[in-house]
Amino acid sequence: MEIKKNLSLILGISIPILMVLFVIGSIYLPSFFIKPNYNFLYTLEISYMDYPLSEGAYRYSVKNNELIREYIDASDKEKLYISGQELFFYDVAQNVSREISFEEAQKLSLNTNLESPDGFEIVYGSRGEGIFPFLFWSGYDYNSRYIKGHYLSKKLNIQSYTDRYYFFDFLGWIM
Amino acid sequence: MATKDEVLQYIKNLANQKLITKEEILNAYNEGSGIKADAVFAKKLKFAEVLYYIGGAIIFLGIVILIAQNWSNLSFLTKVLATLVSGVVAYFVGILLSRDKRTEGIGSAFHLIAALVIPIGLYVVFDNAGFDVSSLELQSLISGILLITYLASFFSFRKNLFLLFSILFGTWFFFSFVNFIIGDSPFLYEWHLIEYQVLFVGLSYMLLGYSFSKSERSSLTGFLYGFGIMGFLGAALSLGGTDPNQNIFWELFFPVLIFIALFLSVQLKSKAFLTFGTIYLMIYIIKITFEYFENSLGWSLALVLAGFSVIAVGYMSVYLKNKYIS
Repeated sequence: MEIKKNLSLILGISIPILMVLFVIGSIYLPSFFIKPNYNFLYTLEISYMDYPLSEGAYRYSVKNNELIREYIDASDKEKLYISGQELFFYDVAQNVSREISFEEAQKLSLNTNLESPDGFEIVYGSRGEGIFPFLFWSGYDYNSRYIKGHYLSKKLNIQSYTDRYYFFDFLGWIM
Repeated sequence: MATKDEVLQYIKNLANQKLITKEEILNAYNEGSGIKADAVFAKKLKFAEVLYYIGGAIIFLGIVILIAQNWSNLSFLTKVLATLVSGVVAYFVGILLSRDKRTEGIGSAFHLIAALVIPIGLYVVFDNAGFDVSSLELQSLISGILLITYLASFFSFRKNLFLLFSILFGTWFFFSFVNFIIGDSPFLYEWHLIEYQVLFVGLSYMLLGYSFSKSERSSLTGFLYGFGIMGFLGAALSLGGTDPNQNIFWELFFPVLIFIALFLSVQLKSKAFLTFGTIYLMIYIIKITFEYFENSLGWSLALVLAGFSVIAVGYMSVYLKNKYIS
């Protein structure tokens, strides 16, 4: 009887609490059960600080599942403002990134599909703005990267948009 | 001794003859049940009380400007004295003044100053302690401290003003804590979590407003209905999205929500439900007209159609207000 009498009060207080619990569950629970298995290779472009090229630089791409690189000669006036890239290996299980040499990376077989064989992809993070109740929206946060799939979203430790690096470029999943 | 039914029948007869008012019945009920009526927010604000609140807001602005202009010159102690200490003093002065009926209005103005200045004081303290003041962690912590403080104040003093501040700080805590948990996860954008937060806070406000409507807290109902329905319908409209990324479910469900709001405006005799239901229906008609009929009818004809529809909605709103609400 008392519950029925105060039903609207109980619901009014419970709704935000339930949403908090739902968000905690949906953000944290999947990380206990779902583990992505495939590491990946990526590049970061070297920052504008190095423009124009004072010495040669490399850019990387994947052809027939193998890594290839193109040398940009500093004396080539047409390519003077093309930035160089550095190669990185991402260990998904440890959630850490390390630089990798071209020679080492060339031995790896790469899958360039955006989705990994176990159903994960690399996506931007997002951010929200606004003050209740007038403005409320959200959009992509281009400074952060996540690995996402099967209701899991895990932040990646990628140092893009720093003093040294900017654009992140996904090369492929390591098979 | 009359039975309950006889007493109720007698009240009905008196009300029918206009010999008794709703307030008199409520006051008698409150006296009998031991509930002390809260003079502040239990009635419409008088002119003098409005001036108290404006004065309180001006004092708050003065403190903010003083701190902002002299941020680098003032010592930590001075900043704390000007913000946190003055806020806490204002809080206790408010409590002392609220004990006397004659100074209760001024007491509420001091509570307003406290509620505005104490958060700034907490920011000053945490900033000095090396915390990132813009982080969601700190916002959650500050709003959590204020929520607990004002909830405790409400349960101690049973004042509507403390309940109002508890709801406002609770809302702040909800938004900052949920967004702190989500961080910059892609789900924030993909699941439209901000829109759902506003939707559920709006729904929660309306339920709380309804719950208070039959008690001595009824003075908060108008505020809760107004902001609740505005946030709820705004979020529902936003979930519908815009061409080409519209969500068909929310676009189709939105008019149902509008008509529920208009129906409730009559049932609850709420002008807020009617006003925001009407405004959002107008926005929806304009949105749908230009989203789906601009190409087939042409821009100018779509404009005419939207204009006539808005006039019809406006007429319906005035009709409902005059017939069922006023």
